Amino acid sequence: MEEKKSQAYQLIFTIFLVLAFLTLVEYLVSQYLDSMILLLLIAFLKAGLIVNYFMHVYRLWREESH
Amino acid sequence: MSAAATHHDQAHDHADEHGHAHVPTYLETLRANRLGLWLFCISEVFLFVALIVVRFALWGNTRPELDQALGLATTSVLLISSYFMVRAEVAIAHGDRDKFLNSLLVTFVLGVLFLVGVVGFEWGLFGITFGDHELLKPTDGAFGAVFFGMTGIHALHVVSGLFLILMVYINGRRGGYSTERHWGVEACAIYWHYVDVVWVFFYPILYLIGTPVH
Amino acid sequence: MRQLRILFSLGIVWALIGQAAGAAAGLFLVRAIRAAANLPPSAEAELVIAAMFSVFGSLLFSGVLTDWLKWCVGIETPLRHGDPDGLPAWTRYFSVDYNHKVIGIQYGVTSIIVLLVGGILAIIFRLELSWPGEQFLTPESYNTIFSAHGIIMIASILLGVGAMVNYLVPMMIGASDMAFPRLNAFSYWIAIPSAILIMAGMVIGDGWETGWVGYPPLSTIDGSPLGTQLFILGFYFNGFSSIAGAINLLVTVMIMRAKGMSLWRMPIFVWAAIATSLIQFTATQTVGAAQLMVTTQRVLKLGFFDPTFSNGLGWPAGDPILYQHLFWFYSHPVVYVFVLPGLGIISELLPVYSRKPLFGYKWVALSSLGIALVGFLVWAHHMFTSGMADVLRIPFMLATLLVAIPTGVKFFSWVGTIWGGKVTFETPMLFVLGAISVFLIGGLTGPILGTIPTDLHLHDSYWVVGHFHATMFGGFVFPFFAAIYYWYPKITGHMYNERLGKIHFWLMTPGFWLMSLGQMQVGIWGMRRRIYDYDPALGIEFTHALITLSALIIGWSVLIMIYNLITSSRTERVAAINPWGSRSPEWQVPSPLPEFNYYRPFEVVGEPYDYGVPGSVYVRDVPAAGD
Repeated sequence: MEEKKSQAYQLIFTIFLVLAFLTLVEYLVSQYLDSMILLLLIAFLKAGLIVNYFMHVYRLWREESH
Repeated sequence: MSAAATHHDQAHDHADEHGHAHVPTYLETLRANRLGLWLFCISEVFLFVALIVVRFALWGNTRPELDQALGLATTSVLLISSYFMVRAEVAIAHGDRDKFLNSLLVTFVLGVLFLVGVVGFEWGLFGITFGDHELLKPTDGAFGAVFFGMTGIHALHVVSGLFLILMVYINGRRGGYSTERHWGVEACAIYWHYVDVVWVFFYPILYLIGTPVH
Repeated sequence: MRQLRILFSLGIVWALIGQAAGAAAGLFLVRAIRAAANLPPSAEAELVIAAMFSVFGSLLFSGVLTDWLKWCVGIETPLRHGDPDGLPAWTRYFSVDYNHKVIGIQYGVTSIIVLLVGGILAIIFRLELSWPGEQFLTPESYNTIFSAHGIIMIASILLGVGAMVNYLVPMMIGASDMAFPRLNAFSYWIAIPSAILIMAGMVIGDGWETGWVGYPPLSTIDGSPLGTQLFILGFYFNGFSSIAGAINLLVTVMIMRAKGMSLWRMPIFVWAAIATSLIQFTATQTVGAAQLMVTTQRVLKLGFFDPTFSNGLGWPAGDPILYQHLFWFYSHPVVYVFVLPGLGIISELLPVYSRKPLFGYKWVALSSLGIALVGFLVWAHHMFTSGMADVLRIPFMLATLLVAIPTGVKFFSWVGTIWGGKVTFETPMLFVLGAISVFLIGGLTGPILGTIPTDLHLHDSYWVVGHFHATMFGGFVFPFFAAIYYWYPKITGHMYNERLGKIHFWLMTPGFWLMSLGQMQVGIWGMRRRIYDYDPALGIEFTHALITLSALIIGWSVLIMIYNLITSSRTERVAAINPWGSRSPEWQVPSPLPEFNYYRPFEVVGEPYDYGVPGSVYVRDVPAAGD
């Protein structure tokens, strides 16, 4: 139980770090590459991470409780 | 699904003079609520995509000159708040009540900070400024209209999200949520993350994409 | 004294009080703030805030938010059901009630009332058009009245769709209610203040003259009447009703179907309701965005649709055509919201009266989804004359013509169902056949408008009016009336008067054919839409008089129906359990249904439309445990 708990905390923190890194990449891309496609790709990647790991969209079809 | 939850929720159907009423279990209600909330999210996608389409139709490959530091700062603040929101949800699901309440409070404060950044500094609503940029005005043609329109609609969602967080916080302090039953927290979290996802798209679309016009 | 107490127990009374109170509060708030900030008074800002507050006040006072507000502070509330305590049973129809059947009736009755208002407006301007030149309407009031006719009829249709979907779907799928009963009540109770806002727009602030489309620059230009703003806000708030109702319906169908009711064994109307809801809960958002943009442009001077902006730095200006795109992205699919439930009713009723299986059930079900899907790809065919990139014109034309394929599937299914059937002609069946004939007129005139070369000539002519009314009557009005007659025994437990029903039909159907064909004829001969006057030299005076005459006939025939519905519920004629010999679950039990629809849950064990197939069973009671 305790182990599962710390795993859950670790997972969301890792995802947060990835998101923060991607945000920084976004900023740098806009300053140095100015590529719209790349910026939108990163945005979709970030959104996907949030929808999956933060919003738990899979609970819709996995029928689990919280 | 935890064993405790199902034990409490024996489906009880009863028939009387009103006919057969199916009283839904907590799990059934949860399922309906989740589905409804996600459908609402999908519905709102059309609102935000409409705004994004308007932005590309009117701005094309240009954008107004905005303060990049401020944009990155507000974006980071909202992202960190989103992290604390999911931390609160994990906490209540594992019975860490104090961690749950504290994380919720941090989320709330960061949400307010985001509003200060956008409505206070970026809009210059209260006469405060940030950096040495000349502020965009709402009446500045398509630049002003789209920028204020998009940030305005988003800010409305942030404000409603803050109300939800406050509500969940107050109910949480009273012990309104348990490890097994905390749909209120989950709903609030989904909504808040959704507001963040919208900003994930709005940030590059408003601040980063296109060449700035002076 | 008791009457007064009952009167002030009614939610509708409180909704009206709340709307007035909210409007007053908003008005004074804006005045006070502007006075405190030393700003000049602004009628526009006052009106917008007052309108928003009035909607909120109406919701708050009617009591539809009470449960939710209690939840916000952690108080759990049980779902109230059954007749109200200490009050007559009829009062629940005038108050916030969470039962889907009550809400369905509320939707239906409101729809008919709003239909009458819109119809009266139509008759007023039809009388004006009976002769060339200015009769008794000024050009401005003509504009207001035809615009109001459009949007009020659309409100009526949306309410009617809400009525059918709310009343029928839970009953058909064997659910005891919708998934979110409180949200269901909210969807209805927000439609009331928005309808009132739209109607108030006709009176307050000089009406409006933009038509129901509200195109800028006419809707945003300085000095455009304040009524425009009320119309836009009423339109906007009505969207909440659509979105909430559609989400509710989708969840209901997804998780509350009876045991054994797989997707391919649902009554066909449920498929239509799903397709409708898919459009409603998505597309409505874009028109909401468009109306918000118009409002911000009017009040806050945000230049979304203002092409005149220039500051010498090369900053982009707004674009009025953009509004048309956002508007039609909703408003084209929404005509399928209007017609799909009606087409579902046709498919639902035809097998019953033909005593034959529905021809091609799966194809009909999928054609509803097909129409909904293709409907999203055709919006710009409303804008062939507005100016758009040439490369877009042909794709939009082709997509528009594609709609004919799923619609054709439905027509062939209907013909295939009637073919060789033992057809009987009770009133509902007559209206179904009338609907098919009228929708055929509307359908055949559609491709002519969808094809660019012909559209360039017919755009904004009365031909469009004829086409549109034929699709709306064939796709909504006729099937709606068929549904009312068909389920009337189920709703009230009484049988309607068949003779009056037939009189209604035989007045309305030829009346409508005359009206529709007349409108198309004057359109070809040069009559333009949206104008109070025409040149007598066009030679269309006689046809115009005929159109007016048939409009009057249709109006009277609807009054006959209302008379029939009211008087029949007071007679002794109790309806048989299953007067139509239907296989649908709601007809297997006595009328009217109890509070939770069924005394015992049923399960689906066969195909829904196997009429005339020996030994075929659709539903049966679930055997109780231990049986």
